[in-house]
Amino acid sequence: MECSIKPEAGYDLLQLSGEVDMHFSPELRETILERIKAGNPLLIDMGNVSYIDSSGIASLVEGYQTAKTANLAFGLLNISGAAMQVLTLTRLDKIFSLYTSAEQFRQEL
Amino acid sequence: MSKTRKLLALQFPARSENMGNVRQKLREVMASCSKSETMTNCIVLAVGEACMNIIQHAYGKEEQGDIILEVEKQGDNMTFRLTDFAHHKTRAEQLQSRPLDEIRPGGLGCHIINEIMDEVQLVECKNGCGNVLQMKKCLHRQTESN
Repeated sequence: MECSIKPEAGYDLLQLSGEVDMHFSPELRETILERIKAGNPLLIDMGNVSYIDSSGIASLVEGYQTAKTANLAFGLLNISGAAMQVLTLTRLDKIFSLYTSAEQFRQEL
Repeated sequence: MSKTRKLLALQFPARSENMGNVRQKLREVMASCSKSETMTNCIVLAVGEACMNIIQHAYGKEEQGDIILEVEKQGDNMTFRLTDFAHHKTRAEQLQSRPLDEIRPGGLGCHIINEIMDEVQLVECKNGCGNVLQMKKCLHRQTESN
């Protein structure tokens, strides 16, 4: 798994790629919570996520809830097929805000 | 009735850093059986979740040990068997899904396994090992996300 933060105008873009499993999800969780606690809306680009399990999904859910409590926007961008399968299985595709372009997210800020 | 073929028998230390290699080996096996990449992804996900449960809950922080993953195929029916050697005895009710209307982190692993696999059960442990989890999947039966 690789995750890097790119500051954009008005929000942070987290670029996530590779396999997000229980070995790497603590790092993802920490990165997400750190950005939200810094007061930044967060958009996570998941276009290059080849695998994500329930521990990775749990990091996203925690980020979503923390952002909601802080009244900050939290979105998922370009969901890969593998990630969408897991979101659908867990019915979380109906909970998260999903975007196909960063512009869409920016306009909602 | 077609013959049962053993496609994989893999023993590995129950540690999170090994799971990438385990998934890769399972993916290679499934590539020769499954006609759909979606099906392969689902099975790799379910087996990965079951391994994660063993690492986190059966062995936990206090104990270390191995997992044996066996994969068998009979016609279109696949069997995935995970054996651990933990002292903790997993109970059948621990394999149940939790309600999905509770939006909270965690507890989704069993739901994923139950959604993907046709049958999930703890079977008798013959050699004094900890737990044996057996999961069955017919390659023609779709999961909801297919």
